[in-house]
Amino acid sequence: MRQLSDKQVKDLRAALINNLGLDFFDEDEINYLLGEIDSFEQPARQKIQALCLALSSASSSLVPRVLSHIKSASNSLAIDDLDRWVSKAFDLLDSEGIDQTLAFLGKTHAAELAAFVVPEGVPFRDAAPMLETFLRGLSGLDLKIADDHDQFTDTSTVYFLSLVNRFPERAKNVLLYKLSAAYACAQISQGTLTLGGEVSSLTRHFKNYPLDYPDIGAFFPLFPDHDLAVDLYTVIEAFRIEPFLRKALPGLMKQSEGVLPALFGDRPGLEGLSEKTSFVEAFYQQFLGKSTRGVPPRAFTDSIHQLRLQAQDSGPEDSIDILIRLYAKAESLSGEYEPRPPLPFFGKIRPDRVSQMLGELKQAHRSKLEALVTKLIDLPEAGRRERPLAKSSVERQPIAPEKEYLLIRGALVELDKELKDTIEKRGGVPGGILVKGTEMGGRSPISLTDLLAEEEVAGVEGGIKYDEWDYKRGGYKKDWCSLYEHDIHPGHERVVEQTLRRYGGYVKELRKKFELLKREPRTQRRQKDGDDIDLDAVIEAFSDARAGLSPGEGLFTRLDRSERNIAVLFLVDMSGSTEGWVNEAEKESLVLMAEALETLGDRYAVYGFSGMTRNRCDLYRVKSFDEPYAESVKRRIAGIEPKDYTRMGPFIRHATKVLASVEARTKLLITLSDGRPEDWDAYKGDYGIEDTRKALLEAREQGIHPFCITIDKEAQSYLPHMYGEVNYIFIDDVRKLPNRITEIYRRLTS
Amino acid sequence: MKINSPKSRQYQISEEPYYLPLGKEVELFDSAYRHQIPVLLKGPTGCGKTRFMQYMAWKLKRPLITVSCHDDLTASDLVGRYLVRGGETVWVDGPLTTAVKVGGFCYLDEIVEARKDTTVVIHPLADDRRILPIEKKGEVLHAPPEFLIAISYNPGYQSVLKDLKQSTRQRFLAMEFTYPHKELETEIVMHESGVKEEIAKQLVSFAEKTRNLKDRGLTEGASTRLLVHAGKLITAGIEPRKACETAVAGPLTDDHEMLGSLAEIIGALF
Repeated sequence: MRQLSDKQVKDLRAALINNLGLDFFDEDEINYLLGEIDSFEQPARQKIQALCLALSSASSSLVPRVLSHIKSASNSLAIDDLDRWVSKAFDLLDSEGIDQTLAFLGKTHAAELAAFVVPEGVPFRDAAPMLETFLRGLSGLDLKIADDHDQFTDTSTVYFLSLVNRFPERAKNVLLYKLSAAYACAQISQGTLTLGGEVSSLTRHFKNYPLDYPDIGAFFPLFPDHDLAVDLYTVIEAFRIEPFLRKALPGLMKQSEGVLPALFGDRPGLEGLSEKTSFVEAFYQQFLGKSTRGVPPRAFTDSIHQLRLQAQDSGPEDSIDILIRLYAKAESLSGEYEPRPPLPFFGKIRPDRVSQMLGELKQAHRSKLEALVTKLIDLPEAGRRERPLAKSSVERQPIAPEKEYLLIRGALVELDKELKDTIEKRGGVPGGILVKGTEMGGRSPISLTDLLAEEEVAGVEGGIKYDEWDYKRGGYKKDWCSLYEHDIHPGHERVVEQTLRRYGGYVKELRKKFELLKREPRTQRRQKDGDDIDLDAVIEAFSDARAGLSPGEGLFTRLDRSERNIAVLFLVDMSGSTEGWVNEAEKESLVLMAEALETLGDRYAVYGFSGMTRNRCDLYRVKSFDEPYAESVKRRIAGIEPKDYTRMGPFIRHATKVLASVEARTKLLITLSDGRPEDWDAYKGDYGIEDTRKALLEAREQGIHPFCITIDKEAQSYLPHMYGEVNYIFIDDVRKLPNRITEIYRRLTS
Repeated sequence: MKINSPKSRQYQISEEPYYLPLGKEVELFDSAYRHQIPVLLKGPTGCGKTRFMQYMAWKLKRPLITVSCHDDLTASDLVGRYLVRGGETVWVDGPLTTAVKVGGFCYLDEIVEARKDTTVVIHPLADDRRILPIEKKGEVLHAPPEFLIAISYNPGYQSVLKDLKQSTRQRFLAMEFTYPHKELETEIVMHESGVKEEIAKQLVSFAEKTRNLKDRGLTEGASTRLLVHAGKLITAGIEPRKACETAVAGPLTDDHEMLGSLAEIIGALF
């Protein structure tokens, strides 16, 4: 209700006085009642007066009664809550009439008013930092968190409700978040969402199960009533997981006993529900309160008994068996199944989302292997590819049934023994890539040369030209590469916020560390001259002299307060092989680096690079030197994504040029990449390594310190040669990158 | 000074230190000792490296001289120096020289903290020469067969520019230490702190969860040592939650948000 003007208030008051007067209230009584009304604070006062006026039109005798009700209600309600309560009375007056309103106003016990107390809701964003750590601590997995209007998990992200305000106490609402986290963890670790990982338990019941691995998204559609099956499965899993959690997290489960009765109370009674619905709802209620509100269908009683018995020490495969049985029972009941509100804190099971996520992970894994296989295949030398390809097509051989082939980008490539051994050493190739000749009758295999030639990209005119070093001829190929500078397409994910949240504690520590770096004057000891005497050195020198030895010369300490004058350019690998973890780690690293550098005040620029062939070297600008670390830069960091190949030479040459134009005493070029430089033409093996090495040497000639961070499973023998003995660091676990990179930078520049 | 002289006795460990072998480390160390190969112990803090050294020194009945390295440690701090005493100069042995003379174990803890020019003085002792040249005195000491040099470092702290030089590393036999696995760790916590098995299990479970948070806000997970501290508090009658917060969570981090989250995890367990 909007605030009325003084005049309006006065008019309403006059009308009330008038009404009361008409009903023979004397002046004292009227003044007393007006005083009562005035004893309430705004905004409720205005409404109470209006309510009194409305009631006085019917009968003024109601006014004193109602005011005394309001008075006693105000003891248990805060002023805003009272306002809401009076509004409700108004609504009732409009819709139900005076009797209902009076009945409502008469209920002034704290318990009856509880519904009007606004609970101290906890929004997801408040709980998020704690939840993220809590979840990671419990699970040991790198789970992400997000909010949604449902609670569920797709095994990679746990979705929480955006707001939990079930209880007036904040602590209890936070407890609901924690319970949700614990149950989500358990669903992931206990195989709820992967159906136990054994396909046999599914095919035993469903001959027509379509896949050769268990997939929750393919499984549930086999039931005629999808919702019923999913909800029954939810119940079964809830009963199975609860004892597990009770053992693993006794403290949390004990606390949960404080909220269960209320959550049980929230469930509706079973009366009026269809038998099917009532059957499932009864399980929900049993889970929450070990009892039911109303009489469940007869089938329920033995089912719950069985379920409780089997919940002990059973695996997800057993759950499938139980599901089949319970589903059969439920199906025989009458009525339609209407899904009820989901179980609080256990959340929903969303087969579609789980299946989608697992599919994506599988796909990512597969493309990675595909890329690996492509890499493994030794590609022909440079010059040979430039010959006409007609000859090779003549050589095309028919498929030999006994041979094995690799299916790469839709083309068949023959798998020779050497290659096969290499692949097997790496743990084999998944089905689909490796095919038997017999399965591919009719198709022709293709030589890899042809495969690559078919993808030849037409040369693009323009761009900045750079030379390339050809180690075989010992000279440069003039204007060989064309480099294009683009602005990166901004990403939508809130990478910066997510990273800052994820590394919350670490970021603070990071800022502190870099702050120290900025100011810390360092005392250098044992100097030949300086501000103060180094006592240790002097005593030592004195003793040495007495012992007849020549004393040391460095007897002073000097305060070294050199000012920082550093410009650093980050060159980030955006090649296809960075897909997944590496890409994510790169982004996180950049966010942390930006935080650190902002604290420090060093100038920095960030560029991403990728490309395909010498004609298209794409350099993506994330942040240039004179650009501030603004929202647009943050969005561009989010937009860093895997693209094509890694032809490092031209990019290093370009970065050298950019750095050369910057005024700074120390210039650093930090390259972040995974594995060796490689383009899909002849730029690979020694050729790529030599060109990269040459480009880095050129940078060094310009007074730039190149430093390379390379992410690989194992240190490669070519690294020291390519980067120079001490100018690189190799990181075997990409997850360490964000933490390491800041440390590396700190060490490099102090 | 002779081996087993009175001076050496002060470094002797007379009572058996409690140590529960995690694998073959006792046998390995024993062989290294017999074949005079220096030993490098790697592992996170509080996982039992120092206790292991004490145990081995006791078992092999050798004196143990421990030096905690820091970046101001100079070569003369290790080898010895001339001091002026009442107008005269007196030579005072450093810990390394003492260990060589008494034929004991010299244990350089956190070796990476020492400056590189300091680390090199152990080189001639750590290869088959087994000598310690004392430049200032113009002497060369030959280490007796009983002498053994052991160094330790925590690869977790190690940064790019503060690494052990290859020339140092490659003189040693490297033994990797990690936190003991669940059952053993429970037993250790029970033995060291006197808590009941159930509490010990929960403490270990908590430690595991903090180790999951390594590099995600925590620099290190909780060490076995911290668990023992918490256990001791619990035995002394302090409430488990409070004990975990003060003995484990507090030492791990100063960050309030992180402490809050750790408190939630503790609350979920106890």
